[in-house]
Amino acid sequence: MSDLSPDAFDTEGFLRNLSDWSPDVALHIAAAENLELTPAHWEVIHLLRAYYVEYDSSPAMRPLVKYCALNLGQHKGKSIYLMSLFPGSPAKIGSKIAGLPKPDNCL
Amino acid sequence: MDKKRILIVLRHSPYGSSLAKAAVDVALATAAFEQRVDVLFAGDGVLQLMRDQESHGVGRKNIGRQLASLPLYDIERVYVDAEAATRYNLDTDNTPFDTQLLSPADMHQLLVAYDHLMGL
Amino acid sequence: MTVVLHTLCALPSSAAFRDCIKVARAGDAIVLLGDGVYAALEGTPACRELQATRVELFMLRADALLAGVSQSAPNIVSIDMEGLVELTERIPRQLAWY
Repeated sequence: MSDLSPDAFDTEGFLRNLSDWSPDVALHIAAAENLELTPAHWEVIHLLRAYYVEYDSSPAMRPLVKYCALNLGQHKGKSIYLMSLFPGSPAKIGSKIAGLPKPDNCL
Repeated sequence: MDKKRILIVLRHSPYGSSLAKAAVDVALATAAFEQRVDVLFAGDGVLQLMRDQESHGVGRKNIGRQLASLPLYDIERVYVDAEAATRYNLDTDNTPFDTQLLSPADMHQLLVAYDHLMGL
Repeated sequence: MTVVLHTLCALPSSAAFRDCIKVARAGDAIVLLGDGVYAALEGTPACRELQATRVELFMLRADALLAGVSQSAPNIVSIDMEGLVELTERIPRQLAWY
């Protein structure tokens, strides 16, 4: 479990500071979302963090799908694949577990 | 029914105000909702295309990096005010996307080709 | 039919003013509002530049009155807010300069 105080998160459960993130914190956030993280999840989580560094923003769904296709291969660059890992709103939930701010372009 | 075509005209320097950041947000949000959107960098807006913008430790969002994600949002057409690019000696050959340089007359023709214009 | 409606809300010395008159073409309309109304001052270089674009020219009456711009060039049509709304209805393609 992470030893972060509740203040480290905003009201929606997004980490306030990117640098507070660690794999342990990710597990903690995922548990709150009722998700068990598999290697397939971790692959996308690390990719989300790389995206944030490269583009200084959290991706919406459309660019996330494209970015996955570019970096993980076409078969993983599909919304259905990302939906299977992070049901509901992959960009939003993935970003949350990756410790990124909530994507601006998500409802 | 055909989707309306939207042109966002980015006209302000990246860090002199919050307008450039707002314009980039609007462009990305519009594209994220599957609208047909293209962008034109005009006047001082071309300064958003400067290479090597370094925001580390400044507490500002890096406009240059955010713009690099335009192709991931399927914003494929990026137009640039040629006069303004020349005025600032801007190198548009090394942007993260293909750009098309436009004269003032070309820019007017471009405006006319869209259903909606958004100047920011 | 008017092609583009430009709403110009910036001083004649501004980049927005330059950019606007650079792009505007005959067949467009420009509405001066806010600080833009100073470009309506008759005999000024800004006013001459504006007229050289050969676009239809308008200015928002209340803003011109507030600024004390009473000597405006004769071909600049003074309109109220209702007139501005009518213009935006007539010309759907609108671009704001500020």
